[in-house]
Amino acid sequence: MKKIIFLFLSFFISVFIVNAQKGINFSRTSMAGGKLLMCVDSSAKNVFYAQMFPNQPRTSFNYLPEVNDVSIQIYFRKNINTQHFRYTILADNKPIVVNKSIDRTQLKDVDRGDEEVFRSTTLGVFPIKGKTITTLIYSIEKPLDIDKAVFYGKPIPRARIKALSKRFATDKGVDYSYITDPKEKTNLFFAEKDNELTIVKDRSDIDYVYYTSIKDKQTNKIIFESTAWNYGGYVDESHELSPYVKIDKNVFKKSGDYEIIIQPLIKWNGCHDCDISPKEIEKYITRYTLVISLDKENYTKKELLIYTLIVAFSIGSAFLVILYFNKKRNKKKLAEKEQQKNIAKLQLNSIRSQLNPHFLFNALSGIQNLMNKNEIDNANKYLSKFARLTRNVLDDKELISLSQEKTLLDDYLQMEQLRFGFKYEIIHSEDLDLANIEIPSMLLQPFVENAVKHGISQKATDGKIMITFIKQANDLVLTVTDNGNGFDTEKKHNGLGLLLSDSRLALLNSIYKENRFTLDLQSSTNGTKISLALTDWL
Amino acid sequence: MRAILIDDENSNLENLRTLLGKHCPQVTIMATAQNVSDAVDAIGKYLPHLVFLDIQMGKQTGFDVLKLLPMRNFEVIFVTAYDQYGIQAVKFAALDYLLKPIDIEELIIAVSKAEHKLATQIQTSQLDFLLQQLKKPETNVNKIALQMQSEIRYVTLSEIIRCEADNTYTYFFLANTEKILVSKSLKEYADLLRPKGFLRTHQSHLVNPKYVKSWLKEDGGILLLTSGEKIPVSKPNKETVKQALQQL
Repeated sequence: MKKIIFLFLSFFISVFIVNAQKGINFSRTSMAGGKLLMCVDSSAKNVFYAQMFPNQPRTSFNYLPEVNDVSIQIYFRKNINTQHFRYTILADNKPIVVNKSIDRTQLKDVDRGDEEVFRSTTLGVFPIKGKTITTLIYSIEKPLDIDKAVFYGKPIPRARIKALSKRFATDKGVDYSYITDPKEKTNLFFAEKDNELTIVKDRSDIDYVYYTSIKDKQTNKIIFESTAWNYGGYVDESHELSPYVKIDKNVFKKSGDYEIIIQPLIKWNGCHDCDISPKEIEKYITRYTLVISLDKENYTKKELLIYTLIVAFSIGSAFLVILYFNKKRNKKKLAEKEQQKNIAKLQLNSIRSQLNPHFLFNALSGIQNLMNKNEIDNANKYLSKFARLTRNVLDDKELISLSQEKTLLDDYLQMEQLRFGFKYEIIHSEDLDLANIEIPSMLLQPFVENAVKHGISQKATDGKIMITFIKQANDLVLTVTDNGNGFDTEKKHNGLGLLLSDSRLALLNSIYKENRFTLDLQSSTNGTKISLALTDWL
Repeated sequence: MRAILIDDENSNLENLRTLLGKHCPQVTIMATAQNVSDAVDAIGKYLPHLVFLDIQMGKQTGFDVLKLLPMRNFEVIFVTAYDQYGIQAVKFAALDYLLKPIDIEELIIAVSKAEHKLATQIQTSQLDFLLQQLKKPETNVNKIALQMQSEIRYVTLSEIIRCEADNTYTYFFLANTEKILVSKSLKEYADLLRPKGFLRTHQSHLVNPKYVKSWLKEDGGILLLTSGEKIPVSKPNKETVKQALQQL
């Protein structure tokens, strides 16, 4: 203890036992600020001495809530001219000594065994319980440098918030809205135009003792701290200036509960016999809860980053989910499409497989006739043709080349020629690559069969069938023309072959989406022409 | 030309004998056989130039005859009633075959081909190749015999980048940048190689999907191959090609 005093204020002597005066045992000495020491009775507890505050370089505050009397001594270095010093003492702000010189006769040398010897005198002994003693000391050489020491014998009052005010922007500048005498829990709404919060504290003689902090109750972090008070603009009932502190709206990043804490800046553990519990300290602390709702939330960079990431992640995962389902759906669609196509192909196969039984057995009968007529070579020839035709039906190939189709039609027509003596011709555009262009197999056969059956079967040798494979730009056009008696196109489905062809074309159109199979039927008494166009086929 | 006819049905043997006698006088029938062991004996005995070999012979096959022979220095024309077991392998081996009932024209052509081969004494190992391929399940067949002007080339399917039609001829483009001309139409190879995954992208093009790099959307659809070549996809084939590539 002694050591500390010595170290802190080297020109003071610390240990000094004051004689008992007026029956008071002043056994404990503390520095009291300025050139002062104070003595308090030895039984006194919780002596908070020489407290200093921001922006108060010459004010020293001694908080003596449990002290009855205090003795105040002044100390001078040997080389200091004590004649220049004046002192004023106020009790509860009323002067009891004003600008008095040091009584040099009372100065005594104090030698505590250190190198330096001080001169000292007692300025007075005062009852302090429930009172305030203030000393002001200055040298007439520097009258502005007044050392002020406050001996505070009353409990430090709890601060009270007199008003909260919001500053907001207007057309002309700014204006304020007030909440006076706010409750301990106050709702506060910050609109976009609001930009500042002011906390007005009740005035006291020792405003400088208090400091303000604001705690974010969600995070338990102090987000604002101020040890300074502003004056001007707010006056209380007795026309005294009230201290206030201004807080930028942006301090409050988010809506939620905030705590305004106003408390004395006393070093509660820097004292003699400190025995003050947190509960005791709490009595000095003023707490207000502000329930703040923000029109627009502010976010820290870190929060922004996190939110951005969260948003990005959510969007990303949503996107992925959508993508996944889309893909699944597409896959399903594709599978369905595939299935439909397969079904169409199956249906196509079943339609294709039907070669008119009437023809089959008549053809065999024709071959039998050749055998019986001993036309062996012809019988062989037609048998081969018959085999090729039936094999093609059984093979169930989806696509055959144009040259294969031509061979099949040749085979077919030659077999029919055995029965009916008509003429036929198969011609094709010169630039058609018959060997490599593929078409659905048995595409024309039903039309050719129809031409034979309804067209020329009655006309015998005058009958003529012409089949063409024509290239028209990118389209392949296949035609079958006969010079028969024609038939009613309205009742065109009188032959099984044609009926099947119709549904077959529909199926083909559903499989080859990029192409169109269109059928054109013209029939008159002079003959019939069917024309089947495969658009964009080449 | 010494010939042996092998078929398990007598009527078929008689028919073939009649047709050959009438249309292919250069063929001398040394013997006929109706089962595998008789066939092996007959071939050993007469050392024929040409063997007409029925594929399906009761429970056995014409291939069994070939397997049992130590030397196969004769031409074979397979005869079959319908596209049954083994005909695909025969096609992959570029060997000749006839379908029953026999078409006289086809018979004459097949015989003269065999005659030509014997005359030019082209030694081929097509039968060995056929027997090799037959050992594997049909899906594992990975080679094809290509009949060139004066030789037979055996090409691994994965070596074939693409085929291009030139009328009734087909060009094969191989991975080693070789270009082979074969006297069969692209359509025939398309029918053979489609089950192996090859894509008929166009009336003149057959492509191995292994060498497809990307699908270019220009001009309605073009396949860019790893070789850098661009192969057109015609409209009728677009859907099929697209789907096949998606499934890769």
